[in-house]
Amino acid sequence: MTVWRHLFWAALAWLAAGHALANPQRLDDSLSYTVPPSVQMQWLPVPRGRSSASDMEAWVRVNIRIETRDWVGRSGRIYMVLPQDEVSSIEAVWTTQGRLREGRLVSGERTLVFAGAIPGTTLEDQMLVRLRSNADWISNSRRLNFHFELDVD
Amino acid sequence: MRQAATEASMPREPRDSDRHNNGMKRTAYRTTARRAASVCLVVLGLVEVATAYAWSLNVTAGARRLFLHVGNGTVSGASGTLNAMPTTNPTVNRVEVSVPVAQLGNGSGLAMTSNSTQSISLYGDGHNTCPTPASQVMVGAGFRRNSGSASATLSVASPATLINGSGDTIAFTQISWTVSAPGSGEPNVIPAGAFNGGTQTLTTLPGNTYIENCHTFSYANSVLPASGTYNGTVTYTLTAP
Repeated sequence: MTVWRHLFWAALAWLAAGHALANPQRLDDSLSYTVPPSVQMQWLPVPRGRSSASDMEAWVRVNIRIETRDWVGRSGRIYMVLPQDEVSSIEAVWTTQGRLREGRLVSGERTLVFAGAIPGTTLEDQMLVRLRSNADWISNSRRLNFHFELDVD
Repeated sequence: MRQAATEASMPREPRDSDRHNNGMKRTAYRTTARRAASVCLVVLGLVEVATAYAWSLNVTAGARRLFLHVGNGTVSGASGTLNAMPTTNPTVNRVEVSVPVAQLGNGSGLAMTSNSTQSISLYGDGHNTCPTPASQVMVGAGFRRNSGSASATLSVASPATLINGSGDTIAFTQISWTVSAPGSGEPNVIPAGAFNGGTQTLTTLPGNTYIENCHTFSYANSVLPASGTYNGTVTYTLTAP
């Protein structure tokens, strides 16, 4: 039984250490919200004639609040992530008020929005996001689930 | 009581006496360990779930839109977007010709005039598509949609005949049109033709395309009708499945 007991405690220690130290750390930004809460894409100009183009875009304001209480004073990099939800990609381009970095992100990727020492218990900013995509979605609506993750140095 | 408290706080190695003389205790020990492990794993799992919040957004694709104009019409949205709120321009333009008595039925085609004043493209980019609207009718069609391969269909329906106040008729097949589009690489994007006295397909539009050109009508003048003013209305339709 000694072997089993040691394995048990070793497994627990490994799980706990892994949870605390492994990068990336997914951050809680459950208090972030968008204005408006949902958007409809608007058509971009279609070229004349038979050549087809199907770009569409939408604009949304996002009030960001990321919980960083557990990482105050630690140095790291925070990324905004947009998982790939279907074959048709979405491009997000945003500006900020300065707390977070401006940037561009395509679904399936992540982009750096903060680097350095975590300054406080929350990181707050407001993003103006332009979403753009081709009109080749599988369905007429989709839910984009952005999130933030931290790589601790 | 003291022994129980000690075992709870400091799990110990089972003794031989446990193995040989007290099977109940060994079972209890394993159960406790498994429960502890389960609780720890559940707690870790809950921590993961609790931090899985993020900002999300419901996004709807651009609305499906059909845009059609024949003659005078109204631009829909910013240049080439067809994004404006759907409206209907009630204008019905008139195309006409007066046949000189001396030329009645001689088979020489006669150009028809138009009361359309639409020279500037309704695509919204200011292009002068129909520079002589007095003899032209601008026809344009656009189709916007998300995904799929279905096309829209542009068709025109004409009655069998034009008719005068006395009930005399002229076959609508006497009227045909040519097309043009100065500055366009596809002047015949909507082809030339002649009315057939029924419904005929002019062209199809794949999704997210816009086509436009000018139609110049003529009267074949190959029949000898009774005198009078003959009227008839043709209706252009753009449909999408």
